[in-house]
Amino acid sequence: MLEGSILYQLKSAHQSGQGTQRSLNFGVYYKNTLVALCHALEDCILTCSSEPLVITAFQRGKWYLEEADRYADLAQRSRQVVIMAAPDSGFGEHPTSQRPNVELVSLNADDPVAQEWHLMILAPTYSAMVLCQELSEADYGKQGVPTVDLERKFYGFWTFEANLVQETIELAIAHLRTYNPALADTLTNHIQAIVSTPIEQRDPLEAIVPRVVDYLQESHISSTANHYTVEQPQILDSNLLSNEVQAFLRMAQLTDQADALNPNAAAEVATLVEAMGQFLDLPVWQLNRLKLASLLHRLAPLQSSISPLTSSSFGRYPEEQSTDAPCSPLVPGAQVLRTMPQLRAIATIITHLNEQWDGSGKPGNLVGDEIPLESRMLGLVAAFQQQVADQSAKSEGTLSMPECLAIALAQCHKEQSQRWDPKLVDTLTLLVSGLQQGLSLPVSLPKISAGLWLLDSHDEALISHS
Amino acid sequence: MSLDLQSPTTQSSDVKYLPGADLEEADLSGKDLQGVNLTGARLMGADLKHTKLTGASLEGANLLGCQLVKADLRATLMGANLMQADLTEADLRGANLRGANLMRSRLTKATLAGSFLSGANLMGCNLQGADLRGADLRGANLSSANLHGANLMQADLQGAIVSEANLEEANLAGANLAGANLAGANLLCADLENANLSGSNLAGACLTGTDLEIKRSKDE
Repeated sequence: MLEGSILYQLKSAHQSGQGTQRSLNFGVYYKNTLVALCHALEDCILTCSSEPLVITAFQRGKWYLEEADRYADLAQRSRQVVIMAAPDSGFGEHPTSQRPNVELVSLNADDPVAQEWHLMILAPTYSAMVLCQELSEADYGKQGVPTVDLERKFYGFWTFEANLVQETIELAIAHLRTYNPALADTLTNHIQAIVSTPIEQRDPLEAIVPRVVDYLQESHISSTANHYTVEQPQILDSNLLSNEVQAFLRMAQLTDQADALNPNAAAEVATLVEAMGQFLDLPVWQLNRLKLASLLHRLAPLQSSISPLTSSSFGRYPEEQSTDAPCSPLVPGAQVLRTMPQLRAIATIITHLNEQWDGSGKPGNLVGDEIPLESRMLGLVAAFQQQVADQSAKSEGTLSMPECLAIALAQCHKEQSQRWDPKLVDTLTLLVSGLQQGLSLPVSLPKISAGLWLLDSHDEALISHS
Repeated sequence: MSLDLQSPTTQSSDVKYLPGADLEEADLSGKDLQGVNLTGARLMGADLKHTKLTGASLEGANLLGCQLVKADLRATLMGANLMQADLTEADLRGANLRGANLMRSRLTKATLAGSFLSGANLMGCNLQGADLRGADLRGANLSSANLHGANLMQADLQGAIVSEANLEEANLAGANLAGANLAGANLLCADLENANLSGSNLAGACLTGTDLEIKRSKDE
């Protein structure tokens, strides 16, 4: 990582063990992934309900010129666009560069930021960021620098987190001050205006994430069509797929972060449900599926469905070419997962989280074993974990963790056979007993770039009902 | 004996003790062989895809080039020869693989959480996306193994040989790498939070994108 680069400064500020900042986990991205990702996040500006500040770093002016026509449209919807790049011929002459709210910053050849690929978007209702740096020749190691442009490798991260975007923009402004102090002052004023704008509601990520997934899938199709030019097509495809999963995980991460009283819900539920699955001796593919469903389950909070349907159609996925009408009930948070075919099983699990053992639940009024096993397990564990967090917050530290566990478990017992599967409540009781006697279940925030490996590749088309 | 095992109706309840059996290239795919004693058996090139071998004893068995895709191998495989075997998405949770030879085997997305691999030979293995949480890999040889995206959280790699291995985007949070040889390893964007690297050899290792890279540059 180049010292003095924006990525380096941000990573330094988030080193583990330094203050209260969360440590940043970086991932690896190929150029074609970054192009698709940036196009998707940029195009969201066109439908954004407020005007953003956009700061970009393009490495070289020639890369900006490839996008300059698109940037004319983006500038029209933005309060200010800043383009940082090492200048190439024609850099400043393009009509987009002449627009009053577009500022070009010609980076010095030895400026580490000239090696970076950044996109920072901050609006009152929308924020997104891609922050990357290209691998050095030494980092490429024995394989050497790739000969195909699409295989160029970058590392860094991307996010929708407004606080991180703002923090990074402030670092970028400090860097820009050495080139153009007046521009830095203008940008500081923009930031102040954005953060002080009162907003009723942020632009929904349920609309933004499917666009990201669409663009990545589109890139997958076009890279498949052009495989003859690429040496390692499966690596590029995996990278695209990984980022599709990441888009959903990042969305779920924001849901957790917005809940100050239970910010680790997804990670804790994933740990508990995996332990419960081990007790039930579930196969690994089912444990992985449960783990991914747990990490994503808060995308569909407890809510009623739009169209409750009969039970006969549940549990089986529609065939690819099926002409039948859609048979799954519409739970918005789960529906968004169906954008990605590999997540259909997860969407089905999450759709049925609010079913009740006695058939009085939603959306399908399923009874007993008709409810997918994974939905029964995840629903119970999620409710239990929420109870534990509520008890802990309510008692303000006066109750010990074993006491919070006991109260939450008692609540589950009260609803045994009515809301919850009695066998699963018994299993949860065993698990809680273990925890109260010192069983340790290490909970850790998931490494988001590792989500790809949780996608199941098994052949079974059915959700388990046993 | 091998005919019995390959019969479509044969299950573990029919055959329990087969030490030293000759099952070379046998088709045992999808069988329920839980608890079977196959100590020292010859299973070279056998088809064991989706086979259930929970609690089986395969100590010292020869499984060279076996097909073990999605097999349930929560079994004793101490000193077994699994060289060039295909163990893609196999379940090896808690398996005893001490001293086993897994050289150039394929373990993509295999689950090895809590398994015992001390002294095992995993040279050139493909462990992409494998789950090795809490695994005992003390003194194991993982040189040139592909561990891209593998989860090694809390794994014990004390004294392991991990030279020239690919650990790109691997999760090594809380792992014990004391005295491990990581020379020339690729740790690009690996998570090393709370990992113990005391006495490890990191000569020529790529640490780009890790917390350790920043720490080192600040120490210099």
